[in-house]
Amino acid sequence: MRIQNHPILSFNRGKQIKFYYNGKELIGYEGETIGAALYANGVFKFSESKKLHRPRGIFCAIGHCSSCLMTVDGVPNVRTCITPLKDGMKVESQNIGVEINE
Amino acid sequence: MSKIENLELLVVGGGPAGLSAALAAANYGIKVSLAEEREFLGGQLIKQTHRFFGSEKEYAGTRGIDILRKLIDEVNKNKNIEVLLSSRVLGIYEDNVVTILNDHKMKKYYPQSIIFATGASEKFLAFENNDLPGIFGAGAVQTLMNVYGVMPATNVLMIGSGNIGLIVSYQLLQAGVKVAAIVEAAPKIGGYSVHASKLRRLGVPILTSHTIKKAIGKEKVEGAVICELDNDWNEVKDTEQLIKCDAICLSVGLTPLVDLLKQRKVKTTYVSELGGYVPLRDENMETSIKNLFVAGDVSGIEEATAAMIEGQIAGLSVAKRIGKNNKKEIEKRIEEGKNELELLRSGPVGKKIRKGLSKLGLNHGKNYNENFSEEALDISHLMKTGVPSEENLKNKLPSEEKVFDKGPIAISECFQRFPCDPCVKSCPFNAISENGNINNIPYVDFEKCTGCGICVSKCPGLAMFVVHKNFSETTSVVIMPYEFLPRPHKGEIVKVFDREGKYLCDGKVIRILDGKFQDKTAAVSIEIPKRYYLQARNFKVEE
Repeated sequence: MRIQNHPILSFNRGKQIKFYYNGKELIGYEGETIGAALYANGVFKFSESKKLHRPRGIFCAIGHCSSCLMTVDGVPNVRTCITPLKDGMKVESQNIGVEINE
Repeated sequence: MSKIENLELLVVGGGPAGLSAALAAANYGIKVSLAEEREFLGGQLIKQTHRFFGSEKEYAGTRGIDILRKLIDEVNKNKNIEVLLSSRVLGIYEDNVVTILNDHKMKKYYPQSIIFATGASEKFLAFENNDLPGIFGAGAVQTLMNVYGVMPATNVLMIGSGNIGLIVSYQLLQAGVKVAAIVEAAPKIGGYSVHASKLRRLGVPILTSHTIKKAIGKEKVEGAVICELDNDWNEVKDTEQLIKCDAICLSVGLTPLVDLLKQRKVKTTYVSELGGYVPLRDENMETSIKNLFVAGDVSGIEEATAAMIEGQIAGLSVAKRIGKNNKKEIEKRIEEGKNELELLRSGPVGKKIRKGLSKLGLNHGKNYNENFSEEALDISHLMKTGVPSEENLKNKLPSEEKVFDKGPIAISECFQRFPCDPCVKSCPFNAISENGNINNIPYVDFEKCTGCGICVSKCPGLAMFVVHKNFSETTSVVIMPYEFLPRPHKGEIVKVFDREGKYLCDGKVIRILDGKFQDKTAAVSIEIPKRYYLQARNFKVEE
């Protein structure tokens, strides 16, 4: 959900752009991060923990915690909370259904 | 082998400390390179929509985002500063060579001096299910809503009542998000009382001596179980309660980001009062490695005003050492900065910082004025609940009831000592005074006060009100600060609340000051039944 009116701030959102989340087409804005765009679209779960498959989402939003890692345009472990969204980007959840053998 | 670029000064980190450091040095002719890992400058200031405390000299009363705009403007105009954006400092080696990653390319630099202003990271909290999506650090919530305009959730449980927890709670409400409660494990509120009071007026419960036990939910947060704590911080039996919420925001402290400093083998030591491992340093912000300086939260957790002054001191110290001229003038300015820091830290809330710094061997021999290091009033009830006691109020209200007969007068509901003076500076009639020390509690001289309402918009803590008791035979008028949407209209009927957020009565909007001068803190005059003139302290406009 996006904030439309704010008592202190005005949000000058960039151009509307399309991107893909696990193959599904979503709308975001130029100038925002992948993480913010996903959240605005109601996507909270970004990946799963490798072993126990617990859901993972954004925690720190400044690139320090590794909780929001996703595969972006084929590159794994991208910090989606600080990576700017680009037109046509393919964003995929990580480690979902992947079994780790010990 | 790629070539190494020589630099005069490298500043790492583009937050308030780094920007101030770069400016201070560049203004004395030092060539500065400022490396910031993000694609924009500002650090955490970019999310600070509230007005800052402190002295007028250091932008008190100005919103963090506006302070930032000024700093960035100055940096961009300064020909001595080269800004390196999206530039992550990856390493610093024994020969002082620094490697910076930019656009998948690694570059090597050899700076004559370095200022690390790398800031801090948030602390985490152990409880069941603490890894669920919907559990955020407070900074993340601020980033999503204040930088990108995205709602992080619809109903948030805040853990921690330090200034960040309180401020972010208020900002959530401004963004249209509900705050279920603020949970604080300590028996008293950690942040400034004025921040707590404005949340209580808005109806947000602050639960001191409480903690979170677990988060509920499968794919994301659906609620939380909290419980009460006794004096020894142990759980009180049968006090568990379920709080419904769709996000949990952790605001349980910060810790300095000293990784790069450790890589360079700068001496660090653990000081709990300063947030964790901090670098040993002198009063000019120089570490155990010569020409390697620190500023801001990386040198110990404080707040943005102190970070900016520390940045200036570090920048000036570099200028003094490697610059050619103006050494006397620079020295004078360094002294001014140190005095300002001392003033900032001299009140009761600076106690913790002072203790931490003394563990680093700093501020020895400096005698803080003990008159100002203790609270002037007993504010234990206020710090437990966020609501001032009858005693506190009596202390700030006119001693004689007949003072109210002379017309509208300003009532200051600021009961805690901390360095802040915008109310004093804003009064055109010199009716508000702090008795010569910025750490003192402001008092209103009711003889001089005209009830103009200027201070209502200028107080960063929203703790100034104007009361006109005898507006008519049966009604009073209270001027209250208002920072929400929708804005009220003249003649509109609004719901009026007391200091605990309890509904009192309906009120009528009779005047709204909401121009450029008020800078989005409107001063709204509400007419209410006379019997509530000392209780009415908040109102809500129906959507």
